[in-house]
Amino acid sequence: MLLELNHIFKWVSQGGSRVFLLKDINLQVEEGEFISIMGPSGSGKSTLLNVIGMLDGFQEGEYNFLDESVHSMKEKNRSQLYKEYIGFVFQAYHLIDELTVYENIETPLLYKNVKSAERKALVADMLDRFNIVGKKDLFPSQLSGGQQQLVGIARALIAKPKLILADEPTGNLNSKQSEEIMQLFKELNQEGVTIIQATHSELNAAYGSRTIHLLDGGRNNI
Amino acid sequence: MIRNYIKIAFRNIRKNKLFSFINVISLAIGLSASFVIGLMVYYDFTFDKFHKDGNLIYRITTQYSSAEGKSYNYGVSVPLIAEVKQSVTGIQLATSFFTIEPSKVMNTSFSKPFNNPEKVIYADTNFFKFLDYDFLAGNAITAIDAPNKVVLTESRAKKYFPNKSYNDIIGETLVYDDSVSTKVTAIVANFKERTDFSFEEIISVETGKQSYMKDQILDENWNSTSSSTQLFIKLNSEKSVSAVKTQLNELAKKNASEYSIKYNEHRTFSLQPLNELHFGGNYGVFDFSEYKADKTILYSLLCIAAFLLLLGCINFINLNTAQATQRSKEIGIRKTLGSSKKQLVFQFLWETFLLNLFAGILSIGLAALLLKVFAGFIPEGLHFSLFANPLIIGFAVLLIIIITFLSGFYPALVLSSFKPVSVLKNRIFSTNSNISLRKGLIVFQFIIAQVFIIATVAVGKQIHFLMEKDMGFKTNAITYIRTPWMDSSIQKRQLLLEKLKTIPQIEKVSLGGSPPASFNTHATNILYLDGKKEIRRNIELLYGDENYLKLYNIKLLAGRELLNDTIHEYIINDTYRKILGFKTPQEAINKMVGEGKDAVPIVGVMADFNQRSLKLNIEPMAFIGDWNRKGYSQLNTIHLQLNETDSKNWSTVIAEAEDAWKTIYPESEFEINFVDKTVAKFYEKESSMTKLLNWATGLSVLISCLGLLGLVIYTTERRVKEIGIRKILGASLVQLNILLCKDFLILIGIAFLIATPIAWYGVHNWLKGYANRTSLSWWIFVICGLGIVLLAIVIMSIKTLSTARANPVKSLRNE
Repeated sequence: MLLELNHIFKWVSQGGSRVFLLKDINLQVEEGEFISIMGPSGSGKSTLLNVIGMLDGFQEGEYNFLDESVHSMKEKNRSQLYKEYIGFVFQAYHLIDELTVYENIETPLLYKNVKSAERKALVADMLDRFNIVGKKDLFPSQLSGGQQQLVGIARALIAKPKLILADEPTGNLNSKQSEEIMQLFKELNQEGVTIIQATHSELNAAYGSRTIHLLDGGRNNI
Repeated sequence: MIRNYIKIAFRNIRKNKLFSFINVISLAIGLSASFVIGLMVYYDFTFDKFHKDGNLIYRITTQYSSAEGKSYNYGVSVPLIAEVKQSVTGIQLATSFFTIEPSKVMNTSFSKPFNNPEKVIYADTNFFKFLDYDFLAGNAITAIDAPNKVVLTESRAKKYFPNKSYNDIIGETLVYDDSVSTKVTAIVANFKERTDFSFEEIISVETGKQSYMKDQILDENWNSTSSSTQLFIKLNSEKSVSAVKTQLNELAKKNASEYSIKYNEHRTFSLQPLNELHFGGNYGVFDFSEYKADKTILYSLLCIAAFLLLLGCINFINLNTAQATQRSKEIGIRKTLGSSKKQLVFQFLWETFLLNLFAGILSIGLAALLLKVFAGFIPEGLHFSLFANPLIIGFAVLLIIIITFLSGFYPALVLSSFKPVSVLKNRIFSTNSNISLRKGLIVFQFIIAQVFIIATVAVGKQIHFLMEKDMGFKTNAITYIRTPWMDSSIQKRQLLLEKLKTIPQIEKVSLGGSPPASFNTHATNILYLDGKKEIRRNIELLYGDENYLKLYNIKLLAGRELLNDTIHEYIINDTYRKILGFKTPQEAINKMVGEGKDAVPIVGVMADFNQRSLKLNIEPMAFIGDWNRKGYSQLNTIHLQLNETDSKNWSTVIAEAEDAWKTIYPESEFEINFVDKTVAKFYEKESSMTKLLNWATGLSVLISCLGLLGLVIYTTERRVKEIGIRKILGASLVQLNILLCKDFLILIGIAFLIATPIAWYGVHNWLKGYANRTSLSWWIFVICGLGIVLLAIVIMSIKTLSTARANPVKSLRNE
């Protein structure tokens, strides 16, 4: 088992009463799954992804990742854990504007202290694989949205994560680009990468092997 | 990784050109000031560090304390020398020398004599054992072991005998003042390192016994002390300091004069360590040293440098924390990509370091410029080349690193502590604590700027006051010429006086001593018995003939002028009259002061005038004639009143006076001084201080305003939408401008309120040191406060007006 959420509650206090963002979430994810999380805006999709990605905390419940209990971990170990196993893909791509395509992809390796020669080889492989060798010296602002998202995915993959978290990865793309990206996710999944995506689109959700519906912070369907 | 950091830093610097520029300039100003001041400190603190056993070398100095206060003399009485050499224990070596000022030196090969050779001493035989000179010719043992021997330094030898080899120069004869003949026995190398022992001609002390210094060198009086008598000792060990002190105190006690016992005056001999020689403190270095290093000045300079650096750091912190939101996205992404907080902090510190490095490089150029600007302020030996010194380079690097941490650490902490989730959800708002910190820092900046401004204006006002205030005697269009002091013939002086009288544009002439206000003082101790008690007082003496007071327009309050220029009569000033207890000037007339055969009548009372800088009080004084004409005439200066309205022709008058001079003193140089210029010289320290303050003020205001501009640009850009809405709702340009400037003006107002008492306190204390001072008027503070507010409005309006004028449609168009 890759990860397991047991009775996760997350809330914010607003004027003395609790507003629940996540309410009693239970989820088990096996390695190699491709899960789609669906639900209307504000239903807690992103929050759930952030919790899974360890970027955000929660008030109650248990979270085990590769048999380690995340909820009792220190911040530092937590970041060590997600650095090692998780890659993020965002709706707004979130590339670093000041860095070139090459440098953007390279950055996670820098933080993992990978040696220079190895870095070069890994980034070159990735550029090759995504067919963006010719764009490696361009800055994000010089790319189209689809290309930017490709770079975003390449960057998420470079550190060879076990899990990719994608928050509406095609939300800013047209349908053709969208299809390409989803196709890519499917291929990755077939290669063994676990993927959890949040999406509005039934079409995209269909690429997954399992769909979870969220409504006002709680699951109503499995 | 580091390469990556540097690359990103470069791109960020390039991206925010204006902010980077403001940051670099502010830091460069602080750094260049620090470099220059650091150089000065280093220069002054590294004098005479190279002597062997330097920690054991001390100079013996004299200190007096009495009811009137303490006074200091860096010489000793001559009999102490023999006593120290023979009977004081704990000393391994002692050397004494006398600094002298020969008026000329001659050799048969010279076409004409060299006038006023400087840095000449009569030294005893221990001198060359004491200081480690490198002998280029001759040897240390026989160099000055007998009368009529002189050792020249390399530079002096080259000056006197430019075409001769050192070995040929040995044996040459140098004649000082036409009477003292010496043979060159050795040539020594000048010290290469910084030193105050900059003597150029060292003559055996035995020779001095044939010269005008004979009386001083052979003086057996324990109670006459000249600053030209120098005594240095080298102790056996550092432990013997207290033992030597005890012995010196005993000697002082044993040889105290009856007079000092009676009037409860104490003399002590102190040991001045070699490493304090350069700073002197209460003492000077040697008689001919002009530049005096002052620790308090160096410390206040260091303070100024620190303030400027601090202001630069504040700009950096303000601009970078204000900009934080712009970089929050990058930080959020980096964190999700696995960057730790530490790694982010390092990234930002590298960026800061790079900016500081630019600033550092820029500031080396600025420092060269500053060195030029402050040329008058900086010791002659200090050159830009000192920058190549490894210690200075190390200091510069260290300083840049320190400044990097000081300016970069806080912004780095703020930036790196953003939570990635909130950043990526666009939920980032700059937190309140940052805003209030920025406000606090702006207030701090403007307090410093404001204090500097008020101080500058107040000091300027005081100096203007000093320059404009009536000294109490006439200074305009009066010049004076000192006759050669070696030629004491009164007849020649009178002859010159007569010749000058014939020049038509010279309205009045007088033969006298120094002008009423000068750097020279003659003083004596006079006793007055008024029947009940005795009043003993040190009074200053002013010498002159019967025309002197008229020429300087000094009024008599009572009595009459001197009958002639040698008669024993006093004209006292009003201050002395009050000290003596006479109620009116009239009452003092015909009273006798002095005892027994020295009793002299007061024949007149003159109005008070300032004898020196207006910083000091008016001292009791007596105007007298030339009482010792047979021994040594005091009337050595000719005072001339030129035609006031005819200043165009003064140069021709001076040329004519020079011609007259040449007929009487053909061998001496003619030098004419204007009294008003001499008076202005009293305020040299003040005027250099003004210059320094002007610069400190200008730079601190510049840095603060740059920072303000940066912040205004930033905040205004964030409010473009608000401005657009307000404009559509009908706000006028002025209203918008006020809206945008208001917050900052409040901060500047707070800064003014805090700065005013600080500045008032500082200036008030400084003014306390002046006997004559201007009032600290309220309008100084008002003008300074309004000035900086106005300046701030102008600076801010650069940005706010253009923003307010922009078409609201543009800013409100949906993105």
